[in-house]
Amino acid sequence: MLRVYVPKTSLRSEATSIESLLDDLEERYPRLRRRIRDETRRVRPFVKVFVNGAEVRDGAREALRLAPDDHVDILHSIQGG
Amino acid sequence: MKNGPVRIWVGTRKGAYRVDGTTARRRWTVNGPFDVGSDVFHVAPDPRHPGVVYSAVNNGWWGPTLRRSKNWGKTWKELPLPGMLPIKQRSPPVEAPSATAPIKNLWHIEPGHPSEPGTVFLGIDPGMLFRSDDGGDSWTGVEGINDHPTREQWGPGAGGLCTHTILIDPETPKRMYVGISAAGSFRSDDGGEHWKPVNRGVETPFQPVKYPELGQCVHKMAFDAEDSSKLFRQDHGGIYVTRDRGESWSRIGKPLEDDFGFVVATSPTLPGDAFFAPLRGESRTTLGKQLQLYRWQGATKTWKPLVRKGTYPGEFGTHREGLAADGLDPAGIYFGTTTGQLFVSPNAGKEWIEVPYQFPGIHSVEVSDGRPVGGS
Repeated sequence: MLRVYVPKTSLRSEATSIESLLDDLEERYPRLRRRIRDETRRVRPFVKVFVNGAEVRDGAREALRLAPDDHVDILHSIQGG
Repeated sequence: MKNGPVRIWVGTRKGAYRVDGTTARRRWTVNGPFDVGSDVFHVAPDPRHPGVVYSAVNNGWWGPTLRRSKNWGKTWKELPLPGMLPIKQRSPPVEAPSATAPIKNLWHIEPGHPSEPGTVFLGIDPGMLFRSDDGGDSWTGVEGINDHPTREQWGPGAGGLCTHTILIDPETPKRMYVGISAAGSFRSDDGGEHWKPVNRGVETPFQPVKYPELGQCVHKMAFDAEDSSKLFRQDHGGIYVTRDRGESWSRIGKPLEDDFGFVVATSPTLPGDAFFAPLRGESRTTLGKQLQLYRWQGATKTWKPLVRKGTYPGEFGTHREGLAADGLDPAGIYFGTTTGQLFVSPNAGKEWIEVPYQFPGIHSVEVSDGRPVGGS
C-alpha cells in the first residue's frame, strides 16, 4: 500500500537506525510524511517494521542499530473494515 | 439572477459524494466517491467562492488528510495540516499541534465571515481549533481556545475530544462559537483571543453535578436564521435554545418522547424555527420505530413531526453532521443516516424523497443551494 506514496519497491539507504531511515525516506518522498509516522514522529499503529524478517515493535526501534547489509521491510497492515 | 444547481455534499465511512439536482430537488444524480475507502467526516462548500469545497478525510491506516477542490469536486488538492509546512518546504522535525497529542481526526471545516474571504477554520480531535487566512494553504492555532485554562477539565465523548461545531456570527464577525465534546460550548467576542464557556442551564445527565459551568457533551449548534443572538443546541442532555448569545439556555425538547440527538439545522427562509432528529437515548435511533424528524416552530413554541406515520418504518441513526437545510423557498431539508440512506424534503418536511443510492454510513451532509452569492 505504501507504493501509493513511493514509486519503488526497494531502495538503499545509509541510515544506521530505524528513525534515521524513516527520516531519509520522508526526505526523499515528502508525501510519506504523516503516513508512516504522525506529527509527533510516532510510527502509526498499522505500520509494521521488520529487520531481516523479524518484526521490530514500538519500544525496541530506538535502540536498534542497523548494519550495512540489513534488510528492512516497512509494510502497512491494512486491518479491520 | 438565476439559481444554479443544488449540490448535496455527503461525507461517509468510505468516501465523499456530490449529489446533483435542480431547485425542484426531486431528482438526484450521484457523483463519487472521492477519497474512496476513507472516513470523510465533513465536506464543506465555501459559499463565498462558488466551486471551492473542503474535505476532512480521516483514515485509520494513513492518518488524516485535508483536501480542497476549486472545481466542485472534479479534482482535489492535499492541503498542509496545522503545524505542517507545504509539502515542498518540509524538513524534519515537523511541528506538532501539541507535543503529546497528534491529530486524531479532522472534524469540521467552517468558511469564515464574508468580510474575510480567505479565512477558514478547522476543528480537530484533540479539541483544537485552527485558522487559515489563505484558503487553507497555511494554518495557525487559535490559542485562546487551544490553551484554555479549563482544558484539563475537558474529557472526550464517545467520538473523541472533537471540535465539531464552529459558528461565525453573521452580524458581528469577531463573535464566534465552538462546540467541543465533551467540554461544552464556548464563545469568543474578540475574534478568538479569549473564550468563555457558555453552557448555563444545560444539563449533564452523565455526571453527579447536573448543571456545571462546562463539561457538557454538546452535539451540535446552529444560529437562528434571523437573530444571531439566538442559537439552537442539540446536546447529550436535551434540546435547548438561547436568546442571549449562550449566557443562558432553556430546554425546549421536554415535550418530545426523548430529546437526545446529534443534529440541528436552520434555514434562512424559516426564522425562529429549527429542525432536529431526536433519538431514543438508549438506542441512538429515531423515535416511533420510523424515520422521524421534528420542526421546532418558534412562533407557537410547538413541535411538529415531519414524516407521515409509516412512510419509512425502521430504526435510523445519525451522526452530528448528518442534517442540513438550504436557503431556498420552500426550504429543503437533507438528512443522512448511519446506515447510508439520504433523505431530502423539497418543501420543509411536507414530502420526503429517498435518493436512490445505497451510501456507506453517512457522517455528514451539507448543501450548496445554488443561490447567487450575496443573494437571497
